[in-house]
Amino acid sequence: MHVGWVHVAMAGAWGALVSLERRAFLQAMFSRPLVAATGMGLLLGQTQTGLYLGMVLELFYLGTASLGAALPENDTLAASGTTAAAVMMASQTGGGGTPAIWSLALLLFSGLGLLGRAADRMVEGHAAALSAHGLELAEAGELERAVRQNLWGIWPYALVYFLLNAACAALGLGLGTLLSHVPLVVLRGLAWAFPAMASVAAATAARGSHARNAALWGLVGGAVMTGFTLVFAWVRG
Amino acid sequence: MIGPGTHLPRSVKLRVFLRSLLLQASWNPKGMQNLGLVYALFPALQQLYPDPLARREAVQRHLTFFNTHPYVAAAIVGGVLYHEERIAAGEEDPRRVTDFKSALMGPLAALGDGFFWLSLRPAAGAFCAALVPWLGAWAAVLFLVLYNVVHLTLRAWLFRKGLQLGDRLVEAVARARLPTRGARLRAVAAASAGAAAAYLAFAFGAQQGGVGGWLLAGGCLALGALSYVLVAKKVPTAVLTGVAALLAGCLGAFL
Repeated sequence: MHVGWVHVAMAGAWGALVSLERRAFLQAMFSRPLVAATGMGLLLGQTQTGLYLGMVLELFYLGTASLGAALPENDTLAASGTTAAAVMMASQTGGGGTPAIWSLALLLFSGLGLLGRAADRMVEGHAAALSAHGLELAEAGELERAVRQNLWGIWPYALVYFLLNAACAALGLGLGTLLSHVPLVVLRGLAWAFPAMASVAAATAARGSHARNAALWGLVGGAVMTGFTLVFAWVRG
Repeated sequence: MIGPGTHLPRSVKLRVFLRSLLLQASWNPKGMQNLGLVYALFPALQQLYPDPLARREAVQRHLTFFNTHPYVAAAIVGGVLYHEERIAAGEEDPRRVTDFKSALMGPLAALGDGFFWLSLRPAAGAFCAALVPWLGAWAAVLFLVLYNVVHLTLRAWLFRKGLQLGDRLVEAVARARLPTRGARLRAVAAASAGAAAAYLAFAFGAQQGGVGGWLLAGGCLALGALSYVLVAKKVPTAVLTGVAALLAGCLGAFL
């Protein structure tokens, strides 16, 4: 598949949309990793890459929440940015996404959650200025303008997350050209690393579920799935 | 009784509800959701206070600090309309609405955080993540449907209860038994996470095949169990992920 700057722009646009949804409007969870990453994969033509990265990142960030005024890591940027980069890397190999590429993207872009949190803090400063301006306008009797300040808080978000997601995609495009130089033995190791990281993510999710007896419930779920898998394998011979 | 001039038409109430979806657009550390709240209420305040001076006072009393859970805020927004209708009719002191907000925003935030952020979202997320092998991309769609059926229904219900009951909405919310339901959902989340871990271990093991496949599947399950214990001991997940990747990577490269 031929990818280029149009795809980079598309990645930026989707990333901006889900980031807006996360913070400013509705919060119907289009911004959750499972949806944001799958959507990014679908948009850029590699649904499976988005789906598997979304699944792992959903588990990884399952227990994080914005409680009160606390600001957690930005799971949305982690999902959309990592997926954009992975899809772009894979596109440079001429094939689809593989567990090795997913692992590489997860490892290289693991700091995106923290970067997103820093970006959120930066945009909050702008919103605080809008709030102060709104108070001044209300004092002066310009009520409609005071109220409209709320909407001005949206645009910096859109711009910042458009740029960050587009940058991840562009970086992926560049890194993809280097993939052909990676020795096969390293790629094989990276392929094994993916389910290992997923196991850690699932353990983090079980812990982050805040359930009483989470270990017991996790064991029950694991046992049921193991049973299904073994029966399924036995039936298929 | 609130009269015809101070009773809000349905269309205005609907506008207020829809605008409340933008409650956090200008979330800021000082006033938090204050701008969002005033933005949501403004069509109602315009209707209730034709006098510019009274309208300005009404806007200013809602530009003070406000912060609660964004979904459960619908109950407070509804309750504010309930009180503002009575204030505009001269039946209540404006302090009633300020007290109402101050009294409810904290407890309702705790309720919303506990049910939506820490129960419903993890349960729907982990359940649908575990269904990815069977549903593919539809798992993401199912997640949105499961989550939003509950989210949007409760949001609309809370707004209506606020409008109808004012301060008495607390009793209606208590009857909904959200904390009990939340505890059950958290168990679903933990079980689904276990199922997802088992699936991933076996699926990638099967892909590898042979002895290496069994080693990979067993190793991943053991890593998951160990990680569960280590996360409880406050070992950073980034460290755990890195070590797991390194271990599995070395094994995969040389086996």
